[in-house]
Amino acid sequence: MEIEIISFGKISEFISNQKITIDCGTTDELKTHLENIFPHLAGMKYKLALNKNLVQQNSELKNSDSIAIMPPFSGG
Amino acid sequence: MSEKKIKNIFVDGPVSPEFIAKSIANHNTKTEIGGHSIFMGQVRKDEIDGKIVSAINYTAFEDLALNKMHEIREEIFDKYPLSCMHIHHSLGTIRAGEICLFVFTSSKHRKPAIEACNELVERIKSELPIWGKEIFADASHQWKENI
Repeated sequence: MEIEIISFGKISEFISNQKITIDCGTTDELKTHLENIFPHLAGMKYKLALNKNLVQQNSELKNSDSIAIMPPFSGG
Repeated sequence: MSEKKIKNIFVDGPVSPEFIAKSIANHNTKTEIGGHSIFMGQVRKDEIDGKIVSAINYTAFEDLALNKMHEIREEIFDKYPLSCMHIHHSLGTIRAGEICLFVFTSSKHRKPAIEACNELVERIKSELPIWGKEIFADASHQWKENI
């Protein structure tokens, strides 16, 4: 299936917004996949949002989902 | 008091002292209020490894941030007897010395306003998907980390 990834902060410097084809059924599998294709991500703290909702537990993915990859927040 | 509509908190550029003054003045008809609490975040001219921070560029995942802020707003209104709550956060480039965050709470007596204001600032910094990029005088940068 195809999903859209968007990235923020420091992560946006090495992962651009793009559509990728994946073979993952869940967000946990997707994390492993992302860390393989973007090795910089592996050593970093980050959170995912699935269709604009923060991922707090392993969640199922479906075609054309949107995944945001977010480093630790630093507003204020 | 519960507010169902999702409010925008983001402003392009710094929060101006005139805007803050006007926000305070807007409350002079709300005569049940006995205490206001205000927090203002200002961009600090830090020195990091010999380089001087000249500005912070803020970006956000706006949809997620506004949804989360809405949740926080509702929780704070449920927890404290507030008359008013106003939150403004800058996006874009804010120079050292300018205001990038303005949190303003009001209540009948001082304590709820003070406590709600503190809790809001802490939650805004830790829970909203906003990122600050510190721009140095030589145009290099590093990503800010909240402590």
